[in-house]
Amino acid sequence: MISEKRKEVRKKLKKLEGLPTLPPIVQKLSHMIEDEKVSLNQIAEVIEKDQVITSKLLRIANSAFYGFPKRISTVQSAIFLLGINVIRILIMTSSIFEIIHREDVGLWEHSIGVAACSKILAERISLKEPQEIATAGLLHDLGRVIQKVSFKEEYEEIRNLVKRGVDPLKAEEEILGLNHSDLGAFLLRQWNLPERLIETVLAHHELEKAKEFKREATVVHLADVLIHARGYGETLYQKVPSLNSKSLSILKISPEEFKDIFLALEPKLYELKFFTQELQKEL
Amino acid sequence: MQRLPLSYIKPGMKTFEEVVDANGRVLCGKGIELTEEHIKRFYELGVNFVTVEGHPVNLPWEKTLEEELQALNKRFEGIKDPTLLEIKKILEEFFKEKYQEP
Repeated sequence: MISEKRKEVRKKLKKLEGLPTLPPIVQKLSHMIEDEKVSLNQIAEVIEKDQVITSKLLRIANSAFYGFPKRISTVQSAIFLLGINVIRILIMTSSIFEIIHREDVGLWEHSIGVAACSKILAERISLKEPQEIATAGLLHDLGRVIQKVSFKEEYEEIRNLVKRGVDPLKAEEEILGLNHSDLGAFLLRQWNLPERLIETVLAHHELEKAKEFKREATVVHLADVLIHARGYGETLYQKVPSLNSKSLSILKISPEEFKDIFLALEPKLYELKFFTQELQKEL
Repeated sequence: MQRLPLSYIKPGMKTFEEVVDANGRVLCGKGIELTEEHIKRFYELGVNFVTVEGHPVNLPWEKTLEEELQALNKRFEGIKDPTLLEIKKILEEFFKEKYQEP
């Protein structure tokens, strides 16, 4: 029964039926980014011609989850500071952010909180390209958005199970045959996003699923738990989700450091709250 | 502590942490009572947010300390993992400090 459901879900995903689609400019940019003969300036020019994408990109680049002290005012400097990979992900997922934000403000706040916390943790343990880990934090619950948008009935059933006390991951597996981490990673793979991002999203609840990027996955896992513990945004979890007992040893973080982490996080959460309020006004 | 957009900042508020400009330069230390001149300078140098002591502004979404602690207890109801309980203890301390008046 579960395997049949899983097949049906996979089939729907493969055909990308009812899933958020990418605007044509995104496809074009993706090809350009993969083409080594194309320069970053040429890419910046194409992005700048699209007012909507430019404004979305700059807004996200300037928000507190990347936390650059300097205001990023041009596409060129955004590419320089965030790296072309992050830019590509942001462009590809900006339509998803809109969906998250519109459909579920609670999940949106949770996601940006996890992004900010992931960046703080990644910097603390000197992971390379912390902004990419922040992006993984932003997208870690992408699968939940897909459930909500593309598997509406099933999502309601999942919610009902959770209300009756079933663990959210188990509820998803029971109804869909796979959980939101699998779903999110599947879609990111369809979009040809970097493996580091895919694996981090895939393994953020089940660290053993990470092969090459265990520390990255652990950062997002811990950030997810810390944001639930702090209380920011809302998800299917009414209680703080369980923390993998190996997390702290994988990251070489001791519990005494959490005070500093919460102190570094708090100002970011304020900025993010004001950022969300501003977005709300535009709706 | 509260981190507020510059437009909310009034003279007399006290900084909770250093104020830095867009280039990371420190404009004002920690625990300083802000004046009109400070604020004018922050505007000129493009400061967007300032972190201040206490809770000088009523933000509609913010809980009181009691409400924060209550919600914290609820989120940790039934949790037995010692690491998570340690995190809870740290958060309790953190909230109490955060709400401390200057």
